[in-house]
Amino acid sequence: MKKLHVIAASLMVLPAMTAFAADKHPAFKLRHHNFEIMGKAMKGIFDQFKKPAANLATIRANAAILSQSAKKVGGHFPKGTGPGAGVKTEALPAIWEKPAEFKAATDRLVNTAAGLQAASASGDMAKIQAAAGAVGGSCKGCHDSFRKPKG
Amino acid sequence: MNDQAHNGAVVVWDVPVRVVHWSFVALLPGLWWSAETRQMNLHFTLGLIMLGLVVFRLIWGIVGSSTARFNRFVTGPGTILRYLKTSAKDAGQPKVGHNPLGALSVIALLGLLSVQVGLGLFAQDTDAVDSGPLNHLVSWDAATAASEAHEIVFKLLLAVIALHIAAILFYRIVRKNDLIRPMVSGRRTFSSIVAQPPMASWIKAATAAMIAAALALWISYGVPPWGAKFPWDQVDKAQDASPPDSYM
Repeated sequence: MKKLHVIAASLMVLPAMTAFAADKHPAFKLRHHNFEIMGKAMKGIFDQFKKPAANLATIRANAAILSQSAKKVGGHFPKGTGPGAGVKTEALPAIWEKPAEFKAATDRLVNTAAGLQAASASGDMAKIQAAAGAVGGSCKGCHDSFRKPKG
Repeated sequence: MNDQAHNGAVVVWDVPVRVVHWSFVALLPGLWWSAETRQMNLHFTLGLIMLGLVVFRLIWGIVGSSTARFNRFVTGPGTILRYLKTSAKDAGQPKVGHNPLGALSVIALLGLLSVQVGLGLFAQDTDAVDSGPLNHLVSWDAATAASEAHEIVFKLLLAVIALHIAAILFYRIVRKNDLIRPMVSGRRTFSSIVAQPPMASWIKAATAAMIAAALALWISYGVPPWGAKFPWDQVDKAQDASPPDSYM
């Protein structure tokens, strides 16, 4: 009988726990997903630079994805989604403490990603590589100031 | 080196085996430290040296001196059990070359090192900014899996190294059997006259080293021409001439 109680109790607790987990601010999941999309797109582009012959179509498709996702980053950090919210996050408090600087960093990402998309449309590999390097620089710049360094 | 043994002293480990062994000892902390402090260029350089050494040791395990060859020391479970039963009595009469149990240590360490260096070639960091030399040939998900496995295998490696050191200490303290000195000097004294195991020539070692270095270098450049452009052909110019988007 006791066993049954335990099972019944855990059956009741389990959905409650998952509901609790789902209750977190959607921004956490959204931005994580968005950053992953951007990471994949960056890899998709840089892979082509290393391959024996670069595939322009792949570069263009990934540049478009990158440009789209870049625009979302600025809106993915609403107040209350920092380190104190009970969710594991690499976002630093600096995002909310220095909003002007953070905005400049996300604007830089949007601009460089748009630049890469334009360069990829031109088909000039030298231009594309330089533009992709600029996007990489904007990623790194923001990570250095606003993301928790890995230990 | 003459074939006749004097006073039971023979060369058990040749120079390549010793150099590779102590290079592993020196490289591993450097590889760990460079990854930990995210000095990825240093990590790649050390990893490239590690790759060359592992490839060399695998070649040497086939064509090298008799005590370095896998088919001379890799045995079945029966031989290992027999060794475990009798080795305590024979403590004063150690084996020339790896004993059946020590052979397991070599296989485990060299196997894990091969897997580890292989995984590192495909691994990437969270942003895929720093990535191994063959990372561009696999998908994001495959590379992420390789990176996670790279961390797990490192922990396994640490565990086996700890076991390896514990075993050496056991032989030293309990069996009064110094395994470290022969791994430094190559020479070992036995209480009875034993035959000098045949040692491979320098020319063979140099050839194997050159093959291993060439292979490591080729992999570090992304296996051109199939996986990447040759380093002297880095300027991407083919695109404009060819019909658009023809490669896939």
